[in-house]
Amino acid sequence: MTQILIQGFLLSGLYALIAVGFTLIFSVGRVLNLAYGAYIMMGGYAYFYAVHIWHLPKTLGFLSAVVVGAIAGILMYRLLVKRLEGDQVAVEISTLILAVIIQAGIVLLFNDSSKILLPIVNGVWHVGSTTITKNMVMAMIASWIILGGLLAFVKFTHLGRAIQAVSMDPKGALISGIRTDRINLTTWAISGALGAVAGVFFATHTQLNPSMWVSPLIIAVAVVIVGGIGSIIGSLIVAHIIGFMEIITSTLIGAELRGIFTMLLIIIVLVVRPQGLFGRGDL
Amino acid sequence: MKGIMTPRHVALWIAFAAIMLLLPQVVSNGTLRIIIFANFLAIFAMSWDFLSGKTGYVSFGHPFLIGIGAYTTAILSYRFHMPIEYSIPIAVLTTIAGGTFFFLPALRIKGTYFALVTLAFMELIYQLTQVIRPDLTGGTRGISGVKTLLVGAVPNYYFSFLLMLGIALVLWVLARTRLGTALDAIAMNEEAVSGSGLSTTKLKLFAFMVSAAVAGIGGAFYVHYLGSIAPRALFDIDFVFTIIVSALIGGASTIVGPMLGAFFMTFLLEYLRPLLPGSERYLIYGLVALVLYVYQPKGIYAIIADLRDGMRSKNANNSKNSGKVGDGKAA
Repeated sequence: MTQILIQGFLLSGLYALIAVGFTLIFSVGRVLNLAYGAYIMMGGYAYFYAVHIWHLPKTLGFLSAVVVGAIAGILMYRLLVKRLEGDQVAVEISTLILAVIIQAGIVLLFNDSSKILLPIVNGVWHVGSTTITKNMVMAMIASWIILGGLLAFVKFTHLGRAIQAVSMDPKGALISGIRTDRINLTTWAISGALGAVAGVFFATHTQLNPSMWVSPLIIAVAVVIVGGIGSIIGSLIVAHIIGFMEIITSTLIGAELRGIFTMLLIIIVLVVRPQGLFGRGDL
Repeated sequence: MKGIMTPRHVALWIAFAAIMLLLPQVVSNGTLRIIIFANFLAIFAMSWDFLSGKTGYVSFGHPFLIGIGAYTTAILSYRFHMPIEYSIPIAVLTTIAGGTFFFLPALRIKGTYFALVTLAFMELIYQLTQVIRPDLTGGTRGISGVKTLLVGAVPNYYFSFLLMLGIALVLWVLARTRLGTALDAIAMNEEAVSGSGLSTTKLKLFAFMVSAAVAGIGGAFYVHYLGSIAPRALFDIDFVFTIIVSALIGGASTIVGPMLGAFFMTFLLEYLRPLLPGSERYLIYGLVALVLYVYQPKGIYAIIADLRDGMRSKNANNSKNSGKVGDGKAA
């Protein structure tokens, strides 16, 4: 029981971190960025390159992941999404193509063998019969700090409120003198950076390989869809529902079935309650 | 209403079939193997097109349908030693039944959400095939040693081409009837269609069933061509990517377009092989797809139609245009 609780919270923290950048784009740009998984992958690889090949300190590793993610976000918005002018399906399809291109690029640069990323923090704790890696605890704490920071940023800063305004009503925001284009660009950069940071933690949790982007993308999609589009709090709650469901099924039923309930949840919620469990909140 | 098939169309189809049927006399067996793959890809792309290109309900999970067809016949013939004459029709019927799983969410949701549900369907069946009854599905390793229908490149080529041609003709004619026009209208404005007194539910169900049937036929014959099946190769996002890109690059909602697209993408990949032996190919392949899609979302079909129109107006020949020109829309 304690095992389920502890592991559930740890995994959910990671999932919340993965999903939040995706939520941000969906609520502001109203588009699904299917290349979001690619940010996660690029973040993981950037950290790997900086820390394991160049032997830079871990902080710089994180910094390089953030920079790579943010640049990827900016380029994606400038070169692709802006051109398609809010055509949702076109954005989805072209970002899916882009994700496959990035996957091919990663294979080209790092070849397609899996790479193990060493834990960011070494060591384990024992709580009763459960073993907890400090790395996962670190990921959970980082996730809470980042989510709290993001929530504060959106609620209390000028830029954050402008982002909120664009997510509610782009035209209204434009009339009020907000440069929606710049806000969109900023949001894409933030989303890219968040994805990349999540990618570092995700990569230490699993491993690095060129097709690692699919499963976090599906988690992000599930969280956003089930939580109700664009609500940060809703995403947080659903990340916990999904995280706990996975832990419960893999400890009580079998590890192979862990992903199946996530898929069923997506399908059932979309069919029965398309607006999501927590409605269409604004951020 | 224009005729469904003008003499010019008949001539074009016959010319196409004649060239393709003479091909084995000219090209090597290796090239034929590539074209066989292109033929199957064209079947999958046309199936996708009839559902997604026509009605605008974009499916990201088409391998779900293809996989049902392929797995059903593979399991029946390999595990239960059922003759192929029975196992393939059963597989197609099962796939049509599976198509209703796609149809149920389409009653309530569209656009992005529909695409995601279909993606979830594909991931779901991918994980289920590995867990539920691995003694039947072969689990992660899949099934190999499935009975093959024909031996050798040339017979397989003829067969796959005729199968593809038959499906293409049926879908193309269907698309040009009033029914096809109504399906096109659903993609543009579903409310308007139901406002005109047509049942969008029935129309969508029809499109989904036809698409599922084609996917089932394609999947079933493909597994009896390959002789093996494995979940990772089938329920894979790369496979979705290849199908969707072929359909879109060719020209969604035109049926002929996805066929062109499938050939174009297959040969692009093959011709890049000697130039770029490694995985760089996929990078170039993806970039070409992306640039073509962003430059002309209506695909090669529209590019050809534009060129033809350009030539026509140059010759000041404004004769009646029988083709559907430039009304293929992006999915």
